[in-house]
Amino acid sequence: MKVLFYGRLSDLIGRELDVNAPAGCSVGQLRSRLAAEHPQAEQSLRSNRAKTCVGERLVDDDHALDASDIVEFLPPVSGG
Amino acid sequence: MSIVVRLEEQRLDPEQELGELLRQASGDGAVVSFVGVARPTSKAGKPIEDLVLDHHSTLTRKSLEDIAVGAAERFDVNHVHVVHRCGTVAVGQPIVFAGAAGGHRRAAFDCADYLMDRLKTEAVFWKREVGAGGSEWIEPTDADYADRDRWG
Repeated sequence: MKVLFYGRLSDLIGRELDVNAPAGCSVGQLRSRLAAEHPQAEQSLRSNRAKTCVGERLVDDDHALDASDIVEFLPPVSGG
Repeated sequence: MSIVVRLEEQRLDPEQELGELLRQASGDGAVVSFVGVARPTSKAGKPIEDLVLDHHSTLTRKSLEDIAVGAAERFDVNHVHVVHRCGTVAVGQPIVFAGAAGGHRRAAFDCADYLMDRLKTEAVFWKREVGAGGSEWIEPTDADYADRDRWG
């Protein structure tokens, strides 16, 4: 599946990754795997103000992923 | 009721936006506007050259629309006007224009205040201050979240 990163996470990991995740993998499992593979990004990935988006909908860590999904990890947002 | 929401990649002209809001508000008694400007120094006192606003191709615009509609529904105003920059903003240049117009000043002041509190914490941007020594991502502070939460 394609995984996209924004803000601070795009600096720490890169803008985009292709990840081979098992069928039914949850967002939380993907987050843990990414945190283990990119320890420099662990704090940002696990921030309780970060959000995860699949198909342009916000999802929680229990959401089951499909291989065709595009998963987006969004660090805390700030405008103004 | 009119709601104007725009995401500008190149330029934001506050005078032009205020002029547009004033024309729309020709029957109103109160027009309030706020302009956010890129600061020349970081919180740590380091000089900044540019502010870079990373954004999302769809969620950013939707977040601006949600905030503007929420403000229009919440306050007794007739016009809500939000324009936000994305991309690279030089120091001293405007980042955001938030305006509200209605019959009386209190609702217009509150509406503009509410718009900014939500824009600071919910508008889908990621801000990076760029200076001679490198760059630093800026995230909302606890005070920013407290300001937003006072609206309930």
